[in-house]
This record gives sequence, C-alpha cells and structure tokens, in this order.
Amino acid sequence: MNRDASKGFWRQGEPFVWATGTALSITLIIMAILLVVVMVNGLGVFWPKSVAEATFNDGAVALGEFQKDSKNNETGEEEFQFKTANRDLDPQMQDFHWYYRKNLKGEFRYPTDVIVMERMENGNFIGYIKEIKAVNVESIKGETDASRLRDAIAKTHARYESEVGTILDKTSGLADDLQNIRYAILKVKYDSEQIQLGKRSGVQAELDRLGAEMKKLVAEEERIKETSDELVKEQELYESALRKNSVIMADSAGRTKEIPLVDIVRIYQPNNMGYPAKVWHYISKVFELLTADPRESNTEGGLFPAIFGTIMLIFLMAFTSFPLGVMAGIYLREYAKDGVMVRLVRIAVNNLAGIPSIVYGIFGLGFFVYQVGGTLDSWIYPERVAAGVSTFGTGGIIWASMTLGLLTVPVVIVSVEEALGAIPMGVREGSLALGATKFQTLVRVLLPMASPGIMTGFILAMARAAGEVAPLMITGVVKLAPTLPIDWKFPFGFDRKFMHLGFHIYDIGFQSPNVEAAKPMVYITTLLLLLIVLAMTSVAIVLRNKMRKRYQIRSI
Amino acid sequence: MAIDLKKSVSNKKTIRIAKLWDALAKYIITFGGIAVIVSVVLILLLIVSVTLPLFESSTATPVEATKLADSVVKARPMGIGVSMSADGNFVTSYVLTADGEISVINMRDLRVIGESKVKCPGSHEDARILHATPYGQDQFSLLWDNGAASMIEVKLADKYDSAGNRYIAHDVYTRAGIEKVTGGSPVKSIIRKSEEGTVTCAVLLHNNKIFIKRIVREEDLLGDIIEKEVSFLLEKDIPGQVTSITMDEQGSFLFAGTDNGAIVRWAFEDDQESAPDAEVTTAFIDKRRITSLVMIFGDVSLAVGDEKGEVSTWLRVRSGDSGARKLRKIHSLKSHPDPVVDLIPSRRNKLLISLDRGGSAYIDYMTSERHLITVTNDRPLAMVSFSPRGNAMLGLDEKNNLIAWKLHMEHPEVSWKTLFAPVHYEGYDEPDYVWQTTGGEDFEAKFSLTPLLFGTFKGTLYAMLFSVPLALFGAVYTSQFTSYEFRRVIKPAVEIMAAVPSVVIGFLVALWLAPIMERWIITFFSALITIPGIFIIFMLCWQRLRHANWAKRIERGYEFMALVPVVLIGVFVAYEVTPLLENMLFDGNFKQWLFDGKSSCWLTNWWSGGMRYDQRNSIIISFGLGFAVIPIIFSIAEDSLTNVPQALNAASLALGASRWQTVWRVVLPSAIPGIFAAIMIGFGRAIGETMIVLMATGNTPIIDLSPFNGMRTLSANIAVEIPEAPVGGTLYRTLFLCAVLLFVLTFFLNTLAEVVRENLRKKYGRF
Repeated sequence: MNRDASKGFWRQGEPFVWATGTALSITLIIMAILLVVVMVNGLGVFWPKSVAEATFNDGAVALGEFQKDSKNNETGEEEFQFKTANRDLDPQMQDFHWYYRKNLKGEFRYPTDVIVMERMENGNFIGYIKEIKAVNVESIKGETDASRLRDAIAKTHARYESEVGTILDKTSGLADDLQNIRYAILKVKYDSEQIQLGKRSGVQAELDRLGAEMKKLVAEEERIKETSDELVKEQELYESALRKNSVIMADSAGRTKEIPLVDIVRIYQPNNMGYPAKVWHYISKVFELLTADPRESNTEGGLFPAIFGTIMLIFLMAFTSFPLGVMAGIYLREYAKDGVMVRLVRIAVNNLAGIPSIVYGIFGLGFFVYQVGGTLDSWIYPERVAAGVSTFGTGGIIWASMTLGLLTVPVVIVSVEEALGAIPMGVREGSLALGATKFQTLVRVLLPMASPGIMTGFILAMARAAGEVAPLMITGVVKLAPTLPIDWKFPFGFDRKFMHLGFHIYDIGFQSPNVEAAKPMVYITTLLLLLIVLAMTSVAIVLRNKMRKRYQIRSI
Repeated sequence: MAIDLKKSVSNKKTIRIAKLWDALAKYIITFGGIAVIVSVVLILLLIVSVTLPLFESSTATPVEATKLADSVVKARPMGIGVSMSADGNFVTSYVLTADGEISVINMRDLRVIGESKVKCPGSHEDARILHATPYGQDQFSLLWDNGAASMIEVKLADKYDSAGNRYIAHDVYTRAGIEKVTGGSPVKSIIRKSEEGTVTCAVLLHNNKIFIKRIVREEDLLGDIIEKEVSFLLEKDIPGQVTSITMDEQGSFLFAGTDNGAIVRWAFEDDQESAPDAEVTTAFIDKRRITSLVMIFGDVSLAVGDEKGEVSTWLRVRSGDSGARKLRKIHSLKSHPDPVVDLIPSRRNKLLISLDRGGSAYIDYMTSERHLITVTNDRPLAMVSFSPRGNAMLGLDEKNNLIAWKLHMEHPEVSWKTLFAPVHYEGYDEPDYVWQTTGGEDFEAKFSLTPLLFGTFKGTLYAMLFSVPLALFGAVYTSQFTSYEFRRVIKPAVEIMAAVPSVVIGFLVALWLAPIMERWIITFFSALITIPGIFIIFMLCWQRLRHANWAKRIERGYEFMALVPVVLIGVFVAYEVTPLLENMLFDGNFKQWLFDGKSSCWLTNWWSGGMRYDQRNSIIISFGLGFAVIPIIFSIAEDSLTNVPQALNAASLALGASRWQTVWRVVLPSAIPGIFAAIMIGFGRAIGETMIVLMATGNTPIIDLSPFNGMRTLSANIAVEIPEAPVGGTLYRTLFLCAVLLFVLTFFLNTLAEVVRENLRKKYGRF
C-alpha cells in the first residue's frame, strides 16, 4: 500500500509540482532579500552608533564606529572595520580603516565623553573636546564640555544666520537681478543689431533710444556688481570674525584639530545617549533629510531638492500623460469599432509600453529639447540664441516631464480601458435608453463610475515616472541644481535643470569619489524612493481591487 | 401655451447642444486614440531622421571658376591653397608661382587682395622655384634652382577691421631652409620641422640617391639650446628608381616608392649620424610603378598611388611570431582609370584626395573606405588643395583656370562596413570590431556597433537564463496549484516587484550583491547543485511524510512555503562546502585559477586560464536584469495560464489525470502562445533596460561570452556617451542609430507578442 502510494507520487508527477513551487519560493526569497537589505541598511543609517575605542598591542589606539568583521582576502586573518572618520587627519584621507583582530589588546571600550561631530566639510570628526574658543558670543552655558560646546554652536549659528544669512539673501537676490539685466542687455543689443542690419524697420530715433537704454542697463549692471562686491566683503568680514569661534578637538592619537564652530552641523555623544535621546537624534536626522539641502557632494545632508524635483517632475508629467492616456483609453473602449484601427492602436499601445526608456530619452532630447525647445528659443529669445545662450533648447524639467509623460501613457491607457471595461453594459444601455447622448453617458455615468480605476492608472503612471532615471539623464537631470525648478515669473522655472531621487542614487553611488562614505546616503535615498514608489503602487492596487469587487457584485 | 412653446424650444436647444458636444467629443477622443499611433510613428521617424545624414552621399558643388589673369600667373604656378569661411560666403585662395610670388585672390570677384614674395634662403633674389611639394593645407616644401631648399607656411585668416568689416589677412612664414643641397642635382624636396624644432630635409636627387640633412635642436644639461647638423645620403638597398618620397610631420621617418613596386622606409633617431638601414617592402608583385606616396593624417597610415590607378593605404603591423612590424596593405580605395599622379591628405581627418592623369580627383575616406566624391572638370586638373576647415576644395587646371568647390561631407567616417564589419584600424594588428569614440586630435574614431549588439544580447541571454525558468514555473505554480486566497496575495506582490525602480535594482546588485558574489562565487555555483540535491532528498522524505494529515494540508497549495526552508538549507550547504571546494579544486583561489589555470586537482587542471574575473559581471547582470523581467514574464504567463478554460482542466482531471499531468499535457500546450508572448515581452524589456546594466557592468565594449566579465549594451552606451556627443556630430547620430536598433528590436518583439496574444484571446473568447 505504502509502496504503491509512493510510486504514484513519482508517476503522477508530484515532484514536478514541487519543483514549480521551488521557483516561486526562490523568487519570493529574492524579493524578500531585496526589501530586507534596503530596509536594514537604510533604516539604520541615522541611528547613532556607539563609538568604540580599540587598544592595540603596540600601544596604538583607534576610535571609531564598529562596522563589520571580515577575513582578509590575502592573509585569511580575522580583521574588523572601523569608521574612524577624521578624514582630514588621515594621511590617506580615508574614513574607514581595517585592523587585525590579533593585534587587539583586550576588549573594545566605550568612553562616554567621545564626541561625534558632523561638519560641513571633510565628513564627521570623532574625538574629544580639548578647548572651546568662543570669543565672539555671549557667555556660554552648560555643565559639561559637550553641552557648553552645543550652546556655543547654537549661538554661533544664530549669529551667523542673523549676520551672514541676511547678506546671503541679498546677494542671491542681486544675482537674479544681474542675470535679468544681462538678458535685457542682450535683447537691446540684438534689437539694435537687427535694425542696423536692416532686418527690422526702425529709425535712428529708435536706435538712439536703444543706445540710451543700453547705457542705463550697463550702469545698472555696474551698480549691482558693486553692491554685490561690497556685500561679499561685508560677508567675509563677518565670517572671519565668526570663524574665530572654534573648538580644538583631539583624536584618539592625541592629534588636535581646530574646527570653526560655523562649520559644525551638530554634535552628539553616542556613548552617553539614552534611548529617548537616540530616538530624538534619529527624528531630527530624518527631518534634516526631508528638508535640508545636500552637502559634501551630495553624500551628506538632506534630499530636499531631489524630493522637490521628483514631485515637480511627476506633477508636470501628469499634464501630458493623463489627458492623452484617458482619451486613448476611452477611444479604445467606447468609441472605436472593432477593426483594423483598434488593432493598430492596440499594437501601438503595446509598443509604446515596450519601447526602452532610453529610447524615449533620446527622442526627448532630439524632439523636445532640440527641436521644440530650439524653436521656442528662437521665437521667444532670439537675442539669447544669437549670443549662444539656450533657455528652452537645453535639458530642463519641462522636457523631461513630457518625455516621461509619453512613457507613461500606456499605463494610463490600460487602466482606463480596464476601468471602463469593468462597468456592465447594462449601465450604458440604461443611460442611452433614457435619451442621453454617448458623450453624456460617458461624462455623467461612466467616468464617475470608472474614476477609481482611472485613479489607479494615474497613480501607477506616477509611480513609474518616479522610478525612471535613464530618460531623465539625457533630458535635464543634474547632480546638483543651484535653484529649484519653480519660479513666479515666466517661464516659471520650467526650463531649469533639476535633481531627482533616482538619479541621486546613481550619482552618489557611482560617480562620487568616496563611494564607501557615500553608501549610507545611497541606501537612505534608495529606501526613500522605494517607499514612495511602493506606497503609490500599493495604493493603486488596493484601489483597483476594490473597484473590481464593486462591479462584480453589481453585475450580479 | 406660450410657456410650453418656450420649453420645447429650449429642449430642442439643449438637445442640439448635447449632440454638438457629442460629435465634438467623438473627434477629440478619436484624436486621442490616433495620437498614440502617431507618437509611436513620430518617435521612430524622428530618431531615424537624425541618423539619416550618416548615410547621405557627399557632394561637391562648384562655386567659382575663373581663369587667372596673366598678371597673376607671370610664372608657372607651383602651389595653390584655399580657405572658405564656415558660412560658406567667403572663399579665398592663393597661388604660388615659380618666381616666388604668392597672390591671394578673392574668389568672388577674382580681385587680388594681397601679394607676398617668398624669399630663397641665402638671399638670392632672382632664384626661381623648381619644385614645390604641398603638405597639408598650408605648407610647401620648396626646391630652388640654385640648390637651396626651404619650407614655407601660408596662413589665411578671417579678420575684422575697426569698422567691423571682414577681410582676409594672409601671412607667409619661412619655417626652415637650407642653403645648399649636395650630392647631386635635386628633383624634389620635403622639409619638416618637428615640435622641438628639429628640421629634417629630404631631397630626391637625379642619381637616385636621397640627400638627408637634419638640424637637431636639443637642450643640454644647462638648459641651453644647441643645434647639431648632420647630413648623409641614402643610397643603399634602393631596389629601383625612386619615384616619390614622403615624410611624417615630425621628420622621424621617410618612405620612398620605386618604379618597380617597392616601398623603402628609413627611420631617423635624434642622434642619427649616418644613413640608417633601409626596410624594403615589395609592395606590388607585378612590379607596377608607384607614382605617389603620402602619409594620412596621424602619420600612421601610408597612402600609395600607382600607375594602374589604384589607391591603397598601408600600415606597419606585427605579423607572425617574430613580432617584427611589416608594411601591409590595409584599405583599398576607389581605383582611377588612369595612373595616379598626386595624393593630398586632409589635415583634419582620414580623408584623402587622389588625382589621376586624366585630371579627375577622387575624395575617399580611409577608415570607412567610402568613396565620397568624384570631381571632374572640363580640362584635367593639375593641382588640387583642401581648405583648412575641410569644407572646400580648389583645383587648378592646365590652362590656369582656378575652380573652387564647396564640399558637403558630413559623416565620411561611417559606413555600413565600419558599423557592423570588422575594420583594420590604425594601431591594430588585425581587423577588429571596436567601439571607441574618444582620443587625441588625430584619433581614428571607431564606431562598430557589433560589440554593443553582442553585449545587448549577452546581457539579455544571461538575464533570460535566470528569469525564464523562475518566472514560468512560478506562474505555473501560482495559476494552477496554489489556493485562491494565496493567488490574491501573490499577484499584487508581483506587481509591486515590477514597480521596484530599476535604479534601485541596479544599485543593489552593483554595490551590495557584486562584492558578495565576488567573495562567494563558489557558493553560487555549488548552490546550483545543492539546491536541487536537497530538493530531491526532501522529495524522497516527503513521499513518506505526505500521508500525515498536516502534510495533506500543505499539498493543497502551500508547497512553496515548505520549500522556502529547503532552498535556504540548499544555500547553507553550498555555503558550508565552499572553502572545501575552493581548496580542493582551485588551490584556494578561484579567481587565480580562472586567470592562470593552475590547479593541483585533476578535475580542474584542464583549464588553460586566461579569463579575468570582473566584479561587475554577467552573473550579476543576470540577477539584476532577471529580477527586473521576472514580474513581467510572470504576470503575462500567469494570465494566459489562468485564462485556459476551466472546462479543459476539469475534463482532464475527470478522466483520471493527475494535477501535474493535466497541467503538463493540457493546460501548458493551450497556453503556449501566451507563454511565448510573455517571454518575448520579457526579452524586449531586458534588451532595453538601461540603468541596471549601466550600474552593474563595467560598460566595456568587448566581445566575450564569459560569464565572469561584463559587456556594454546599446542602451547603456547611449546613456554613457550622449552627454559628450556634440549635437549633429557623428557620435550623436550613431547613438541615435543605436536607439533605432533598440526601437526596431523591441517593436518587432512586442508586435509579435501582441499578435500572438490577440489570436489567443480570440481562441479562448469562444469558451
């Protein structure tokens, strides 16, 4: 009996069923690994790590955040990695160091007075406070050195904000003015050239007027330049005074480094922090991530410009993708009669979905940027074209978003079609029987009913757009954009280059000079992007499934 | 009454407006549908239109042709030159005559706008020029009738005067000169001045000897410049009458062609005191007369014109085992009907003008072997010259008519052959497929798409090896064997997997997986054996266990959960045996073994080595790309399997078939077209995926199937190169060609898949 049964097990092909099951398990395992790796590496980045002190047999001391144990590739000996930071004190400018386990004397120690200092430049500093030289701020309070330092930093930053910050605001305003005046000068120059060449009718009076205007503009330019030079001088004065406020730090080997307080972003004592303090630190870091600008060639600081660029990009994309997708979807489901045309459109939709994104990118470059943008430039800003300055004729957020719009059209089409298809025929027939026209049926009955499905399409399209990078790389994304792609004046900043979360990952993970130091930032960016995309997709899927259920019940 | 009437009027109006809207909407919405087709066509048309100029034929348009006045050509013309402004509006030429006069002529009105006199070295005012050899667009090596030789440079430059009017300035510089050629009566001279200032003068003499004089400039230890003069005669080992000579720009070697088809080469060292040894090559076995020799721009290739009208270029390549370099014919350009009399190379790229005795000039591009333009004239041309910008050509016929042509040659370096066939490039020992786009000024750009196509298919192939089995079996399992509840979870999960941005996958496989894989590559390979092994052991156990009640529940669609530990155990076993295997089979270092093939184990010592292990390799790609296409293949295959009518399934089971037999014999065959479509679409997606390959391969364009190194795909190539490609340049257009290839490939795959699915839908729509 038993033997027969086991024979049947093989004869019936049960193991094959199990083999197909293995394929599914492997797929699920890989997926889980991906999510876990991103989560573990991403979520842990901001948690303050304890700083360990390792003493070696030869008397040397290393201070750093313990990273991992490993085996040396060549010698096969046990070793461990520290993030020692203090890049500027290291002869090789390294943040990370490997040490042999066998050289270690005793256990790691965790001294409580160790300070981790985040700086504007050169990464973190790990060490001890030796002396605080705060000459330019009122009395600093605090019981311990660390709290006194924290107070001094806060006061220095406040002074910096009130003194230099206002100047910086003014100078950036002046820079805008200067740019505008330069464009105005170009325009006047171009106008008078056109008249001189006889390409535009104009009399001497006109030329004289332009000449006078030119003089005025040039004077204005001079004036702005002077003002801004003065401001820069003033700023330098303030800064050099503030830079006298500094702290002398010592590392584990006793080497000292004087660090101006204005260069310090924040300090913390990881070995002296309780659980709530660590949570607070974590929250403040997340807040910084979401709102601050990046520092140190994007490997530290925040992601605000990239997040803003991504959102702006998706927002602009919607203007191309949604109307076109909805129209095409409605056409396929409600208007087209089965035939060659529908077949062709369907093939086109499928192809549109299958064209590699890089091909969209190159199309965007050739068509949107150079043809459409170039033409716009020559209409709106002929004077800038003559001077070799491109406004629309170079990569910008508007072209990137239109490229992405085209790329996401099929996603919208498929969802719209599905949403309309799920509505029972009876609903349409009822509406038409009551005398409504087809369009009225569509607008008043079908679209409201299909709206969750259409919404699904929109969200999926946005998720797809958030994750695409390749087409952006050739249509206007940059590693560091000086200004956000938005403005109150024409062209509203749409011509500007922008930053993007996905490109940020590529850039800091692969183009940055110090990949090891950049890794935490890449993981955190990856986590953020993944969360955004997966959240959008999940919402879309839930919406769609709900809608499907709704009509399944109704159609009964 | 009146109210009713009003109402009906307003009703009519409402209806009319509604109908109008209806009609309008119909058009707008139809437009939306058609816009989709239009965009696909537009995308294709646009990218194709950008690539078209690559294959445009070149043209030469005569712009000006006039007879030179006798006052201009008082003596025999010895050399000509031309310059055309970038906009093509101003053409200026100059004529050098035997009396040393240079007349600069505005070609528009033939007005002489400047004159200069070239001085003979040693201040012989009445010396006349015997022979002038042009070099490039503006240099002439002159031989004077009093035995002196000199080298001059003529520069034409666009300038603006204070009133903003454009004029052409010309300058004539004598760069080098020697006062007396000794050893015989001279026929022809070539003088070159190197960057360091070393002057090399080679003069062909009537007695078939070549007089060499070198003035070497050197810096001594104290930093003073010392000049050293050496002169000697080249006379030994010349197999026939020398007909032409040529030298490189630095004056470091000399080629001579003879009347019996031999080419002789001499190389000069800086401290050369006496005649160096000659390297003789019998170039043509039929002993034809070599009529013209010239170095192609870059001084690597030698162009040879002969009496049969053939034009060929030669390279010194390493041949055989000896490693000695020998001159070998590489490119054959278009043959003339008449003997070649002169060759004029461009000084910007590998263009070459050849002039035959019949007076027609051919313009050819060496690397692509493209014949670009045939220039003929009513009267035979005696002399031709290129403009420095390469946009114009000037010819002088026997009757002193000066003719200028505007040249339109946009992308001469590209042909179908250079794009897809192996080409023998300079510096290579054999023809090869190479993609290399950046280099020095005299660099030969190499635009072979073959390695990119190869890389694309290689990456896709490895990705499919990984993803197709996983996705298809997973789809079979999900659609046929799992429970309904579970299927409702797994489908959205796979959709979410599809939404993972490729940049995230690329980053993870490149920066997280690649180092791990490098360390644990043996584990990976052993897992390929241990997972199936553990699976079989598990199956053997399971046939005993399955009768338990708890086990029966698992067999109702939860097998995959029991299998997760099985897979993990398989990986763990592989991990445990790794050090053992690596020590036993590869002497403890797999990468070393891969590279040199040294092993003490008989199982692995057959390998001869020579393979490098790159961290970012095809295995990494197969994981990354595979992960990206699994959800695509999975969902389409799952759909088509689920759509197989339940009736078929039920009938098979009712007839007594087991669940696997039903799937294998009934469901799968019915769904085959859908599965095919799934694979096609997955294939198309893998072909075009950019970020993953960009990040997870080294992006080196090599042709090598090895799984341990990377590749460069068409898509990654576009992403890598387009930022550096000047708009409208050859690279820019070639990258658009890459995009066209990608478009066509994916269009083909997607259309095929769509047609198959359409038919499938129709087939099962009946049930």
